[in-house]
Amino acid sequence: MTDASPPSSAERRTAADAPLEVSAVADLCTAIEDNVAEVIVGHEDVIEHVVIAMLGRGHVLLDDVPGVGKTMLARSIATSIDCTFSRVQFTPDLLPTDVTGVNVFNQKRREFEFQPGPVFGNVVLGDEINRAPPKTQSALLEAMEEGQVTVDGTTHDLPDPFTVIATQNAVEPNRTYDLPFAELDRFMKKLRLGYPDPEDEAELLGRAVGDHPIEHVESVTDLETIVDARETVSQIRVETPIREYVTRLAGYTREHARVGVSPRGTIALLRAAQARAAASGRDYVLPDDVRTEASVALPHRIKTTDRDRDGETVVANALERVAVE
Amino acid sequence: MSTRTESSSGGADSHAGDRTLPFDLDDAAGPGLFRLLACCCILVLTASYVSVLREVTRAVGGTETLFGLVVAMLLAATVLAWAIRPRTATVLAVVGGAGGFAYYLEQSGVGVEIVLSAGDAIAADTLALVTGLPLIRMVEAGTWALAFVPAPVFLSWYLAVRGRYGLAAVPGGLALVFLVLTGDAGSTVTLIGTLAAVAAVGFGELERRGGSVAQADVLAVLFALIIVLSLTVTFVPTGPGTAGQVAGGDDGTLEGTIDYASERSGIGGSVDLSPEVRFTVESEQASYWRTGVYDRFTGDEWVRTGEHADYEGPIEEPPGDAERLEQRFTAETDLGVMPAAPQPVALEGDLAEHAEVSQQGQFHPSTPVLEGDTYLVESAILEPDSSALRTAETDYPEEIESRYLQEPEGVSSEFEARTETITEDAETPYEKAVAIEEYLRSSKEYSLEVDRPDGNVAEEFLFEMNEGYCVYFATTMAQMLRAEDVPTRYVTGYTAGQEVDDDEYVVRGTDAHAWVEVYFPDHGWVAFEPTPSGPRDDVHTDAVQQARSDGAENVDTDSSEDVPVDDEDDSEPDDGPDETPTDDPDERPDQNETEPDPTEPQDPENESEGNETEPDGPDPNEDDPGPENETVEGEDEGSDWRSTLLELATVSREVAAVGLVVLVGLAASVHRTGASGRLRRTLGCYWQRPTDDPNRDVERAYRRLERVLAREHRPRKRSESARRYLESIAAGDRDGKASDDGSSGPGDGGTEPTVESQTVDPRLEAVLERYERARYGGGVDRETADETIAIVDELTRERLPILGRGRN
Repeated sequence: MTDASPPSSAERRTAADAPLEVSAVADLCTAIEDNVAEVIVGHEDVIEHVVIAMLGRGHVLLDDVPGVGKTMLARSIATSIDCTFSRVQFTPDLLPTDVTGVNVFNQKRREFEFQPGPVFGNVVLGDEINRAPPKTQSALLEAMEEGQVTVDGTTHDLPDPFTVIATQNAVEPNRTYDLPFAELDRFMKKLRLGYPDPEDEAELLGRAVGDHPIEHVESVTDLETIVDARETVSQIRVETPIREYVTRLAGYTREHARVGVSPRGTIALLRAAQARAAASGRDYVLPDDVRTEASVALPHRIKTTDRDRDGETVVANALERVAVE
Repeated sequence: MSTRTESSSGGADSHAGDRTLPFDLDDAAGPGLFRLLACCCILVLTASYVSVLREVTRAVGGTETLFGLVVAMLLAATVLAWAIRPRTATVLAVVGGAGGFAYYLEQSGVGVEIVLSAGDAIAADTLALVTGLPLIRMVEAGTWALAFVPAPVFLSWYLAVRGRYGLAAVPGGLALVFLVLTGDAGSTVTLIGTLAAVAAVGFGELERRGGSVAQADVLAVLFALIIVLSLTVTFVPTGPGTAGQVAGGDDGTLEGTIDYASERSGIGGSVDLSPEVRFTVESEQASYWRTGVYDRFTGDEWVRTGEHADYEGPIEEPPGDAERLEQRFTAETDLGVMPAAPQPVALEGDLAEHAEVSQQGQFHPSTPVLEGDTYLVESAILEPDSSALRTAETDYPEEIESRYLQEPEGVSSEFEARTETITEDAETPYEKAVAIEEYLRSSKEYSLEVDRPDGNVAEEFLFEMNEGYCVYFATTMAQMLRAEDVPTRYVTGYTAGQEVDDDEYVVRGTDAHAWVEVYFPDHGWVAFEPTPSGPRDDVHTDAVQQARSDGAENVDTDSSEDVPVDDEDDSEPDDGPDETPTDDPDERPDQNETEPDPTEPQDPENESEGNETEPDGPDPNEDDPGPENETVEGEDEGSDWRSTLLELATVSREVAAVGLVVLVGLAASVHRTGASGRLRRTLGCYWQRPTDDPNRDVERAYRRLERVLAREHRPRKRSESARRYLESIAAGDRDGKASDDGSSGPGDGGTEPTVESQTVDPRLEAVLERYERARYGGGVDRETADETIAIVDELTRERLPILGRGRN
């Protein structure tokens, strides 16, 4: 259910057996992206990355300054696929149960009832996740990992699909709790929106006059289609040269950083690449898919000793040096 | 550009990396192996020229001494290798050579003091050798060989032991080159020696530099070059006789066998007879017409030693009583020989300026005698009677003894014992000669169909063979007489031929012959005829008749046409060989000189047999009688056909061998330069053969395209995916065109490079898509693969250096 689960045997089947045609998946992606683009000006690549991460059963971490549209992005995607959307604003005093939900005693029925928290949604926006204490963070991260939450000994399954889009505030480092390295690994991708281009911003301002466009966004698909699409994605063909290429990339990062990409990271990368292939209407992964995804799926999993070289540099070097065959 | 192409393709093509793998394994071989190989090569080189010298000593004696010297030099060089310095070694080598020479002189009883006096002669001989005089023809060949061998053997092995392989090959190589120049080293020996020398240098270098076997391909290149050059370029001077090969003297005919090379007379197996007319003679007397005199027998062939001198007037006539006989010879075909009745003393005519005289007193043309050429010979015809010969002295001049008593090494004691038995009743040399002559005539059959025996021909014929032809008879008789210490020589030529008119004779190829001459002090050389005459005549007459009935050309001259061949026999007897002293009526006439006695019809017949042996003598058509000659022609054609076929087979084998060598050399050099990879890749760009695996085909097709694009734009970076590569190239093109047009750039392009895929040539796009599907996807079917290949063919051919330049 998450990006960390091992490849299922379903991957061995061909995409032809999938419930949804590959071309339909591509169309689906295009539809969602176009829909979201009505709200978000520019950032087509980020939109695409998020959609693809969803299809690849992954979660996304947006690392950016406030006010560039992270929340709006998440909301518009959720709206586009007609699914439940919930948002958790992480604050230093947020408790784990504020995320997962609590058992509440029902006076009328004289029993405890589970009151689901905001995590019970198809698309969950975790805003400024690094402002909550680690304990609360881990409540969300556990849900991402397991696909379920446990409250007072009772396990509650999360809805499917379940995608977390978390944001990180990068401007107030002294008032945040950095996400533990191991937990960062659970995000399929870490993206950065950045400021819009001047042209895009001008248009953004134009749209801001009057009603906010999010009010008019309508769904373009439904949950069931998304589930089918995910199934299709999981069956996208990954041939040996691709697997070897991914292995070589990971090997490079391990050789050139203190902590390189973990096997979980390579699996996540492959899944993302699969989803990207499907989004392109292809039933097999190309090196280009891997390359495109590697630049967002790998850097946050790498720890360097060198201050000047962060994970992105390492990955960029890897892509520049590792041979494609 | 090309180097970049190679490096990038090498990266993309995993096979390129494999290329060196097998050779890497050989690296384990290490310098020890190279050292061993280099030493072996030096030994082979040494063996090559020693074997040449051994051929000489085998004929003239001294083989044991030769081998002893070689072994001693090798041992000395090994022992002294680290004890003395190279300069000392060089001096030692020279001293060793001189020592070996002195030793031989002492052993032969000549004494060292002769060195000084003999110095000029040896120096002259050496000079002659370099100008092409074969070693075997050198008068002092044995002495020379022993003097020659120590220095190069010692020096080369000394240097080899010291690890100086390059230098070590020099003395051996020089020795070999010298023997090549003398014409003694055959092509095979030369090849082996040269290859060994090159290999020694090569392996030595490899050992010194710690190279791998992979680098030995340089050697392969050199080998191929050497072999090809040695087979195609002839720089060894050739004698005039070679050029003078007569038309009928092809391999397989008697003449061709006898005079297969200048100054040599071979002994072959089965031979054919050429019925063609070689020359006509006007002479008052019939005679054997001699064309060659040979003094040295190697066991395989006869060799004429000593250099020829230009003819500068009459030569010394024999000491005995002699009548003068004038003969006019007219060549009826091109001749490499100059027939004359023995012993010729003077020559007249235009050809005199182009004649040479051998040290045995025979005229030879320095340029071929052309058809129609005429020359006049004056000969001194010996006419000793048998009683005079019987009482002749046996006090031979030293010059005669040293030259005409030579026997090849290893003559068995049985041969001498048998000879002794045959001649036990004979007391004088003349009686011995007669006894041997009679023995051979009576005990052996005449036949042209024999298998060439191995080993000493004289021994084989005496003991193992029941039949043979003149060559065998004459060789055996000569050797037997020499075994009895009677100076004897082997002569070749023609029998008298067919008498077509008074004092006019037509000589054909069938008349080629070989006989012997025995030396009698105060008389000179007297001919003897060991070949039985009757059977020989039958065979030869049949040949001419056969040729005539078959209508062969050149069998007859105008004057010979109407004369039956049988007449020939009659006429021959008339032509008594002048040399033979009159046979005593009592004695067998045969014993007399080989030349036919007028009195005895059989002799001439024998002589005609002798003629067979000499293929060289070109016979003019004139003399031959018509009818019978024609029959022979058919046979001639047959033999021509056979020999042509033989020639073809030989040539094609040689060509095939040379071709193979060239190929190997080319392959090695291509491999050496790394051009093979380039060539393969370059050619591979334009041509591809489908395999069974469509996916592989598509991948290969794409690689081809990539290589072509690499030349046109830039190679793909290893880390670049195929799609990204093509897109960036397309983008580059587009940018280029945009700037050419002066319009603005294509805009920011902003995001992913994949967005630009539309700009790729649709055909490229198709190839790319199929390549990706074949390599990363579910594969492609046969049809798609073929289609892809076709597309790539089209794309690459558009981009052919000449055709496609303008397209992009």
